[in-house]
Parts: sequence; structure tokens; C-alpha cells
Amino acid sequence: MNQSPLVLQELLRKTAAGDSAAFSLLYKQTAGKLFGVAVRIAGRGEVAEDALQESFVLVWRRAAEYDPMRGGAMSWLIAIVRNCTIDRLRRRGTRPEGHAVPEEALARLAAPESASVGAEMRALRRCLDELEEQPRRAVVLAYMYGLTREELASQLAVPVGTVKSWIRRSLDRLRRCLDQ
Amino acid sequence: MRYDSPELREQLAAEYMLGTMPVLVRRRFERLLVSDAELRRAVEDWNARFDPIDLDDLVDVEEEPPARVWRTVEQRLALPREPPPRPGWLSSLAFWRGATFAAAALAAGVILFVAVRPSPTPPNVVAILSDDKGDPAWIALGTAHGGDVDVAPIRSVAIDAAHAFELWAIKDGKPHPLGLLAPQPGRPLTVEASVVPADGVLAISLEPSGGSPTGLPTGPVQYKGAVLPR
Repeated sequence: MNQSPLVLQELLRKTAAGDSAAFSLLYKQTAGKLFGVAVRIAGRGEVAEDALQESFVLVWRRAAEYDPMRGGAMSWLIAIVRNCTIDRLRRRGTRPEGHAVPEEALARLAAPESASVGAEMRALRRCLDELEEQPRRAVVLAYMYGLTREELASQLAVPVGTVKSWIRRSLDRLRRCLDQ
Repeated sequence: MRYDSPELREQLAAEYMLGTMPVLVRRRFERLLVSDAELRRAVEDWNARFDPIDLDDLVDVEEEPPARVWRTVEQRLALPREPPPRPGWLSSLAFWRGATFAAAALAAGVILFVAVRPSPTPPNVVAILSDDKGDPAWIALGTAHGGDVDVAPIRSVAIDAAHAFELWAIKDGKPHPLGLLAPQPGRPLTVEASVVPADGVLAISLEPSGGSPTGLPTGPVQYKGAVLPR
């Protein structure tokens, strides 16, 4: 499904005004993708479902806080879903059984420049590509799969302290690159 | 930890967005977010920097959630099933008027709440928290499926920027911190029903803006109420 950013923005604006029909439409337009975000972090099952449900309760309550000047509607929604999913996962303390980062995703992350073909390279992509390979993997795995520092350390076979400083330095470099 | 260095604040906002903070640091940061609008903006800016459209070739998972997810959202927010659209109960003035009335009625020992707003599944009252004069000020509402409890003020509760209201569950005389409360009705604190003790007390103390530094109430208890039998 390819949602027009302006449509989502308008649906959020109406949701903020208490229009439950617009809210329902917003759900229909975005739930598939947002559930995908939750499932990728928490696996299929209760955690992802509860997180999506909690997210839409928050969307209804906080729609008025969405500011189109500060970013796209979809990234606002994804931020809420990621947060709710990571919170629920951390509260449980364990990752669901059998939910691991797929090998092919790791392979893709190792060679991200091949994925961004064409002249029009997006800003985040370009800035991520400026990072070294292992720190970039750590940041992208954390963002996409919600891995903790410890999980990243074991996935990338380095000490937790290394992961910590990679992340800190990478986020700082990303901010400088993106805010240019 | 001090939260007044701009670099540290930026770093924490970024790591919060990424989700890699240890769970206790994350909790503490979230409590701080409730009262620190500038920090909330820093997090929003980080969310916007990671615009997922930029990662579209990696964000390729799409999957329809089960229908029960939307049904629960509808029930929790007591949304109308059919048009015409009405505002949801949490944002509606009529609800807050009703809730204030219900709170007063409950405080007087009259259980009237469900009659106030006969929406599809009325939220059940878990506790009414009153000030030392006995005036109800906060309400804890359970959701239909018993998964969560929302706590929000039902009238204006004044507080300065240097302080925050912190919610506690008290069971057998021992307080357990549940989180910082926003003093406006629109942003209830959601806690899991399991942390609200069935025959305990909910209490709100006045704490420094980031919440109690010790894990125990350090300021005076301003509001409290017994958890009602369910």
C-alpha cells in the first residue's frame, strides 16, 4: 500500500479534532505497514499485537501533537509503534522464541550501497553509508529489529562497551551529516 | 545523572529513539520526557531524522494485523461503531464533566459511573484519588479487557515546572513507583493492571521534576485513594 503523505497528514489532523471515522481510515491505511514494523521487532504474536493496539490508542490521544513541519506523518506513526513495541519487549525482558534477525537482512546490511541504486540517494541512506560497516550495522539492526546493546554485541561478536561507543559515535556523526 | 548538559541530552534523545538504552535508564528518561518539552522535541527530531522512507528498501515487511487489534482500540477508546463521528470520551468535555460528577458520586458512596456514559464498553473505575480535603482530583480507569489502567486528572491540578506528580501503588505500607503524571487531562499515564494492588492504595506525591531520585516518595502525598473492589 502506498499512502500519500498528505492524505495521512489530513487524517491525523481530523483525528486530532476527534473525528473517529478519519481515525478508522487512518488505521486501515497504515495498520499493515505498522504491524510489519512491530512484527519485525517482536515477532508474530501477542507483543506485536498489543503494541499496535497501544500505539493507536496513543495516536488518538496525541494526534494533536503531530507537527507536519517536524517530519512526515508515517515517520511519526512508526516512531510511536517502535516505542510501544520496544517498551513491551523490554518489559518482558526476553525476545520471543525463535525470533531472530534474518540472515539475508544481515547480508543486505553488509552491502547497503548496492541497495541504493540510482542518482537520487536519500539523505539517511547516504549518511549511513558514510559510517564504517560494523557501526552502521549496529545502528540499523537496533533501529530495524530493536536489538539491545547486549544482543548487538552477541550478533556482531564484539564487547558491549564497543557497541556502546559505536552507537554513540555513529548517532553523533549521523546528526552532523543529516543536519547539514 | 545530570540532565542539563546539551550534549548529554542530545545523546540520550538519540539513544532513546534508537531503543538501545538499558531498561532502567529508559524508564528514567521517559519520566523526564513527561515534564521536559524541549527534550520531547529532541526525540521528535531524532524520529524525523530516521525517516523510514529513506530505508524503504529495508522496510519491506507489511502484514495485516488480526481484526481483534482494531476492535480493542475501538473498545478502549469507546469509539462509536457507526458514523456520525463523535469525539472520543477522553477528549470530550461531556465525558470530563460526567467523570467529575461520577467521581463526586463515587466519593459519596454512590456507584453511578456506568450510567453517565453508556458507550459500547464503559471504562471501569479502579480508583478515585482525592486531596486532603476529600475533593476528587484524579481518576484511574481500567480498560475493558483488564490489560491496562489509565490515570488522569479530572480537574485542574496546579504544579510548577520544578516539580512533578509521581504515582505510587501502596500495598502493605510499601510504595512502588508507577510513573510521572501529566497534570492535563489529555495525557493519561497508562500502567499495567497487574501493578495496581487489588486491596491497596494509589497515591500521588510531589517530587522533583525528574521524579523521586530514591525510588521512594520524597515529597508530601497530595492525593490518594483506595483501589475499588472489582
